[in-house]
Amino acid sequence: MKAHVLLILLSAILAFGSLGCGKKEETPTTAPETPAAGKTVDPATAGTISGIVKFTGTPPPPVRLRMDADAACARLHRGPVTVREVETGANGGLARVVVYVKEGLEGYTFPPATEAIELDQEGCMYQPRVLAVRTGQPIEIVNSDDTTHNIHPIPKVNREWNRSQPPRGEKIVDSFARQEVAIPVKCNIHPWMQAYIAVIAHPYFQVTGEAGTFELKNLPPGTYTLEAWHEKLGTTTQQVTLGPNETKTVEFVFQGS
Amino acid sequence: MPAQPAQDPITSKSLSFHLLLWSFLLIVSLAWALYDEMYGLRPWRSYQKRFIEAYSSYLQREIPKQQQAEQSIRNSPEYQKLEAQWKAAEAAVAPRLSEIDTEIARINRRLGVLTPVFQEARGRVAALVYQLEIASADDRQSRLREVEQAKQQTYSLSLPGLHGDGTEQAQLSYTDLEREFNRLKDRKAALVAERAAVLAEADALRRQLESYFSEKLAGLTGQQLQGLLRAVNNLDVRIRQIHNESAGLVDRCQSCHIGMDLALVPPNLTLTKADLNLEGNPDAPFSSHPNIELLRLHDPDRDPAKALERIGCSPCHGGNGRATSSVIKGHGRHKYWLWPLYYRENFEAGCQMCHAQDMVLDYAPVLNRGKELYRERGCVGCHRFEGFDNEAEQLLSARQRIRQLEQQKREYEQEIARLQRRADDPATPLEVARQLNERAASLPVVMSQLDAEIEQLQQRTVSLMREEKKVGPSLKEVRVKLKKEWIPYWLANTHEFRPDTKMPQFRLEESEIQAISAFIWQMGLPGPLEKQPRGDPARGKRLFETRGCLGCHSIGEGANKIGGDFAANLSRVGEKANYDYLVRWIYNPRQRTRPYDPIAKKDLGPEDYARHGKPFVFDLKNSRSPDGKHELVVMLPTVMPSLRLTWQEARDIASYLITLRRSDANYPPAPYIDDPNLRERGRELVKFYGCAGCHEIATLEEEGRIGTELTNEGSKPVDRLDFALLTHNAKRGILPDGSPSPRGKWYDHKGFFEQKLANPAIFDQGKYKPDPRDRLRMPKPNLTPADINALTTFLLGSVDPQVPNDMLYRPEGARKDIQDGWWIITKYNCMGCHQIRVGQRSALQDLPQYQGPNADKLPPPLFGAGARLNPRWLARFLENPALSETDIHRNGVRNYLDIRMPTFYLSDNEIRKLVRFFEALSAQERPFIPPVIQPLTEAERTMARDLFTHPAAPCLRCHATGDPAHDRNATAPNFLLAGERLRPPWTQRWLLDPARMIPGTAMPSGLFRREGDRWVFAGPLPASLRNYRGDHAELLVRYMFLMTPAEQRLLISRSPRATGASTGGSE
Repeated sequence: MKAHVLLILLSAILAFGSLGCGKKEETPTTAPETPAAGKTVDPATAGTISGIVKFTGTPPPPVRLRMDADAACARLHRGPVTVREVETGANGGLARVVVYVKEGLEGYTFPPATEAIELDQEGCMYQPRVLAVRTGQPIEIVNSDDTTHNIHPIPKVNREWNRSQPPRGEKIVDSFARQEVAIPVKCNIHPWMQAYIAVIAHPYFQVTGEAGTFELKNLPPGTYTLEAWHEKLGTTTQQVTLGPNETKTVEFVFQGS
Repeated sequence: MPAQPAQDPITSKSLSFHLLLWSFLLIVSLAWALYDEMYGLRPWRSYQKRFIEAYSSYLQREIPKQQQAEQSIRNSPEYQKLEAQWKAAEAAVAPRLSEIDTEIARINRRLGVLTPVFQEARGRVAALVYQLEIASADDRQSRLREVEQAKQQTYSLSLPGLHGDGTEQAQLSYTDLEREFNRLKDRKAALVAERAAVLAEADALRRQLESYFSEKLAGLTGQQLQGLLRAVNNLDVRIRQIHNESAGLVDRCQSCHIGMDLALVPPNLTLTKADLNLEGNPDAPFSSHPNIELLRLHDPDRDPAKALERIGCSPCHGGNGRATSSVIKGHGRHKYWLWPLYYRENFEAGCQMCHAQDMVLDYAPVLNRGKELYRERGCVGCHRFEGFDNEAEQLLSARQRIRQLEQQKREYEQEIARLQRRADDPATPLEVARQLNERAASLPVVMSQLDAEIEQLQQRTVSLMREEKKVGPSLKEVRVKLKKEWIPYWLANTHEFRPDTKMPQFRLEESEIQAISAFIWQMGLPGPLEKQPRGDPARGKRLFETRGCLGCHSIGEGANKIGGDFAANLSRVGEKANYDYLVRWIYNPRQRTRPYDPIAKKDLGPEDYARHGKPFVFDLKNSRSPDGKHELVVMLPTVMPSLRLTWQEARDIASYLITLRRSDANYPPAPYIDDPNLRERGRELVKFYGCAGCHEIATLEEEGRIGTELTNEGSKPVDRLDFALLTHNAKRGILPDGSPSPRGKWYDHKGFFEQKLANPAIFDQGKYKPDPRDRLRMPKPNLTPADINALTTFLLGSVDPQVPNDMLYRPEGARKDIQDGWWIITKYNCMGCHQIRVGQRSALQDLPQYQGPNADKLPPPLFGAGARLNPRWLARFLENPALSETDIHRNGVRNYLDIRMPTFYLSDNEIRKLVRFFEALSAQERPFIPPVIQPLTEAERTMARDLFTHPAAPCLRCHATGDPAHDRNATAPNFLLAGERLRPPWTQRWLLDPARMIPGTAMPSGLFRREGDRWVFAGPLPASLRNYRGDHAELLVRYMFLMTPAEQRLLISRSPRATGASTGGSE
């Protein structure tokens, strides 16, 4: 009897002791997780969205740029310099509109764009005025003028910078890491100079020419929000659903006042 | 038969069941006791065990990632290049290095053989020399001989050769040994020095490589993480405490919050719940401190661990640092603990205990907002709070001090007379008389020093009279300013008319409103007020939107509201205001209708001036009373500055503002307002409700505050907070509206403050109070939940300090200047227009008209202004931002901006404090002594001029020069004024990289490039500069600071035209 009780007591103490003193086994090391790679586009099922951006109404009159204060600028132009902020072509096509896929490509990964895109300063104007690049894609800024410029992008989500570039000076190469449509770029020395850089995280975008047309090829099937952005007229969006190998046509219309 | 013995219970009755039962109970209670000992009373044990598990698995996940990152840095071309350079440098010196090393090795071997023999010989010689020294004259000769012999004795050694492996046999005398020993030692020292010199370049490259690596690698290296993993796996589970004996502080918080232990989670590793895979787990107190920078700030050496060791946790966070037996007790949310842990939304309250004298703190936006609201919303009008709006108290003490000093002077006068009398007394001995006369002659000097102090104090009182402001407008002006019928409407419907107004809603009955309106109206000054012609509202709107009004004022109702919230929302101002008054107000808001005489206690009119034959003119230059005896109050007690508008601009803006009204605005007539019988009751009520706390009211200029002082409100025992009939519900967690409180019981300071600020009247709930004057007087402020939280945070932190005095933040010198400056910066809302704190946004920055490229039109950020500006110039600018006595409708510096730096009519004292504030923020020494600038040679002057005016140099395309034709298109300040305005070292740094100082500035970076140890203009150079060997940036700075009027004219005549502002005009 006594032995019994003692035994129980002892074993209880031992059990507790071992519980209290017991050390946890070391957990085996787990393999590091690699981030799941995003989907890639299968060219076999990819389709195309093409279309046109139109402008209805009367475009505002061209803006006169008074660059006579800097002889190096005025020299390159004969007569007064004007810029058409709303530039239309035949059939009401609207130029310099960035058309891009705003939503619907989440989860895809694309090879990075490494080819440099040039932004020139010529005759104290940016060439081109509207530029679209991929995130991380190098932009080469060239000064073809005989005057000093400064390049001052004023982004909202990317980093702002402001660097001067001497006449025909060395190229400035930079890139923007995050999608932003569009970053205004100005030259504080020549305040009439204005450019816009649209930064897009994937390859599905285009800047329209005078005809106002665009074509986004090799798009995987899916439902997309397309946005058209214009420096003066703002943005409009459209939903497009693209089936496998399908080709869809879209028309954007900007209303003039 | 033997009698049966009585049954022996020992044998007959079994106790085994009892024994079993009791032993079982004993075991159970023992088990329970053991469990309680291990876990029940020590909940931190299981926390620590869980932490070890979670943290070690985090580290195991992290190590390979970090190793990979290290590898990719090692594989990067920059690293490889540096590594190759380092290796190449090492390889280049390797042959020489190995030569040196071989030679050193050989020397060492040779020394190895030589040294013991030499040391033994030296010992022998030394012993004999000693014998010689103590020898008697007779012995001397023989001893000398012995020494000579010892020196001559030869030793035979087999020395390793210096040029190969062989050995050479040598017979060397002591002298030879010594010579050889010294030769080898010298050679070895030379070789070691050469070795270091040869390796210098390679070492520098290796350090460069290491620093490149550590810069690129974010976080700890894999090796360091391995070390942490070992430490965690061997962690000793124990109470972890911070003990600061001198402060009486024992904090054991880290026993559960073990991630805060900086030895386990180093400062450059942040640990969040997500890192530990414990996201969403409410019971995982393992994160590291979320703001290590805050800890660093609290240690002079910026060591977070030392700060933690000194301050601990509970002084900032509240709670009971000693308690370890449960979470509730540790957090002090217990009825026997007075200082519960601050809730997450109020944790900045902890800053207030030590930083009560700071108006603005980095990292405490909620507390800052609370203090701002306390002042802006006029809480301070009724509730005294140490440090807030104490100009009246300071004025009183300054005047008292003046009286004391005057009294002291009179005593000295008497003392002088007494001394002289005694000195002249023939009975006084000559020597004593001389001393008395000396003393009598020195007293006037002491008195003249008192005169200086009195003069300063008088200046100070003038300053203080200017500095004293009221939160609300002066009610002396109501008759000339307001529409009569609007007053009772406003009193009854304050927040309907203007939801975000500073004025709280009083609980008034109709009869009270009538009496108060009548009193205020009848006490208003009748005038004079000039009639104004109408202006152009469209132009006024444009001016209103561009001159800077929106830095303080907002406009638009509801979602359409834009602008700052420092001053009134003007959306309906047209319904209440009188146009003529509005024009005068906009032209100069400080303009009084009549000056106030604080001695005669009345507002002086033209008649009072006429009595002394003086014109009715009063302003800062004519601020004496008509009898010339004392200072008058010549400005309205408002903080609103003058924008130095023209009368026409003021009319235009007023014409615009007067259109801001609802179309259906209509107020019932209020004939009772002119009833003189209501006036006395009105006065009583105005006094009773404390209106004079926020408003200037005739006859009540010197009324005191009516509310309780709140300086230490957070320390008041909770049972002295009057929860009234809500006490029971507060303890049960039921809110006044009957809904359950989300955090349960609200019978604490936080609950009281929150409810009181939301609606003070609820504490009258359930009480029968037919007389309105028995009710709680506190009016209802219309605060957003965020504002209530900010004020609650402020009040919660407003406690009687629990830590020793030396831990409180009571700075001196530059830090005190910073502290003082913030009070003025916030008083006048400088941050409505300027960015002053890094990371702070001004109200203007968020307006649509200043977005994107238009950000250029904003006022300048003031980061580093103290390093930029000459303090004497700054003082002059703050006094008169037009920098001109005649041409006042402009900005003195940035004339090209539409927005205008207003004139604040700052007192001397405020200007001094502001200048010191900016200097202190930029760590500038005081007083400012301009650095000596090396004079320019004629050639240098020409070069600098050529560079400035060179077509490739963009300077003068934006910067003004003072030439009106050139400056029409200028978009940057006139740097020809740099000599008086700026500081040279700053100017040079600015030229090199302006974006570093002010991100987003229009001034481009990269104007100069580095060439060797000098900066060279990064464009085509003018011919004269091509052979210049000096630093171009420095040359330009010297040129600017040595500018003369003649040089300025020369430069202007050659400068290209400014190119700015040339867009526009269509064709």
